[in-house]
This record gives sequence, C-alpha cells and structure tokens, in this order.
Amino acid sequence: MQPPRIPSKPLVETPFSYDVERRGDAAVVHLSGSCTMGESARLTETLVSLASEPVKLIVVDMACLDFIESTGLGGIIAGHLRCRRNQGEVRLAGPVPSICHLLELTRLNQLFRVTKTVEEALRAN
Amino acid sequence: MAGAFRRVKDRRLSEVKQITVPNDLAAAKRPEELILGEVARCGYSQNIAFAIKLALEEAMTNAFRHGNKCDPAKNIHVRYDITNEKIEIEVCDEGEGFSPDTVPDPTLPEYIDRPHGRGIMLMRAYLDEVSYHCNGTAVRLVKINRQE
Repeated sequence: MQPPRIPSKPLVETPFSYDVERRGDAAVVHLSGSCTMGESARLTETLVSLASEPVKLIVVDMACLDFIESTGLGGIIAGHLRCRRNQGEVRLAGPVPSICHLLELTRLNQLFRVTKTVEEALRAN
Repeated sequence: MAGAFRRVKDRRLSEVKQITVPNDLAAAKRPEELILGEVARCGYSQNIAFAIKLALEEAMTNAFRHGNKCDPAKNIHVRYDITNEKIEIEVCDEGEGFSPDTVPDPTLPEYIDRPHGRGIMLMRAYLDEVSYHCNGTAVRLVKINRQE
C-alpha cells in the first residue's frame, strides 16, 4: 500500500530584481529573487552593458538570489567575457547552497572567484 | 511528437495530463506552475521541486529557442504524470530536431566560458533520466522519489 500523500510547501518563485551599486572603480550588482527563463535576458543586458564601461571589477551579489537557470548563468559569463576584454574581472559573492551546487556542477566555480561576502570579493586580489 | 508520450499513456491513461502553450517565454511558465503545484501536492521535497523547476526551465527554454527558433506561430507540448514514486514529464517542440550527442560537454576547459550549452548537462545532473525522442524534438524527464 502506498503511503498517504502529505502535501509539501510549494517552491516559491520570488520576483527577480537587481540594482547596481558603484564602489570606486568597481561595481556590485545585487541580485534578488528567481532569475528564470523570462528574466535572464535582462541580467545579460545589464552585465554586458556594465562590463562595457571602464569598470575593473564587477561583483555579482548572489546572497538574495534563490534560483538561476543556465541562460542566467550564461549572462554572467557574457559579462565576464566583456569584462575580460577590458582587463576587468567578474566575481560571485554569497551564493546560497543550491546555487553553490549549481556552480560546482557546471564548474563555473573554477571560472569565477566565488566568495562568501561582497566585501571579501571587493578585497580579494 | 507522440512517440515517448505513448508509452506513458498506454500504461495509465487517466493520470497523464497534457498542456499545449504558445511558443513564448511567458506562456512557457504555465506548465511549470501546474507541475510544481502537483509536485507539492504529492509531498515531494523542496530539493526535488528545485530539480524539477530547473529541468523544466531548461527544457522549455530549449524548446522555445532551439526547437521552435523563437517562432510565435509554433507551440510547446507538455505531458506529465506524477505519482508517489516518480515524476515523468515530456516536453515537445515543433522544430526539426537535433542530436544531443553533438552538444559538447560544457564543463570541459575549452567550453567552460561559453555562455550557452549547459541546459542538457544540468537536466542530466538533477534528474534520474533524460532521454530524447522523435529526432530530438521531444525530451523525456524522469525523477524518482527517493528518501533524502
């Protein structure tokens, strides 16, 4: 006999948003919510546009990001490629465990420097 | 389109659900909402729900972008069967198909900084079965309900 079905808490999708904070010649992009298939183009545009400026370091703050799919990850890579062209760097800060796991699976943790906090990312040489 | 669906349908016709949505990213969220609602009602864990959400986002994006080539005149067809034991989903596009074997491993050093090509790899990493049918226009996704 099958055990009774006990409903679990639905996976909540929170609205995606971001804002850009300038820190000297660095920029911190604070991401929040769920970066789903309909939102990743916005993330890509923002990061590529920012990376086209004379910014030496872009820190992507993932502490409040609860979901990202491969197109969103691709947007971060697109920003990284543009930034590298200008001798800049993209770093990732504070990913939650589920996104850490995603970064490990894709080995993007080897492409990007991943730190626990934004401040650590800004300080790291 | 019906190839891999038929196997599921023949076994338990009454539990297979189907939805067809237009080929746009907003409409593509509807099957995900329905399936995740059903996943929660069946008591699956948050980790499994995350895996299903990720796999659906990848499969729907691939159908929209690579299969249907962003053509708004086309549709995406989704069938799903969710029981206490497992979740089976099939996503079909109306494109010309492709061979998943030609997609390179995105974790290899030479491909690691390519912005695209991680969807199939992620589906395979999070699910128990990912198989392509009908010349690559249909992807079948299976997640087994294991104790965590």
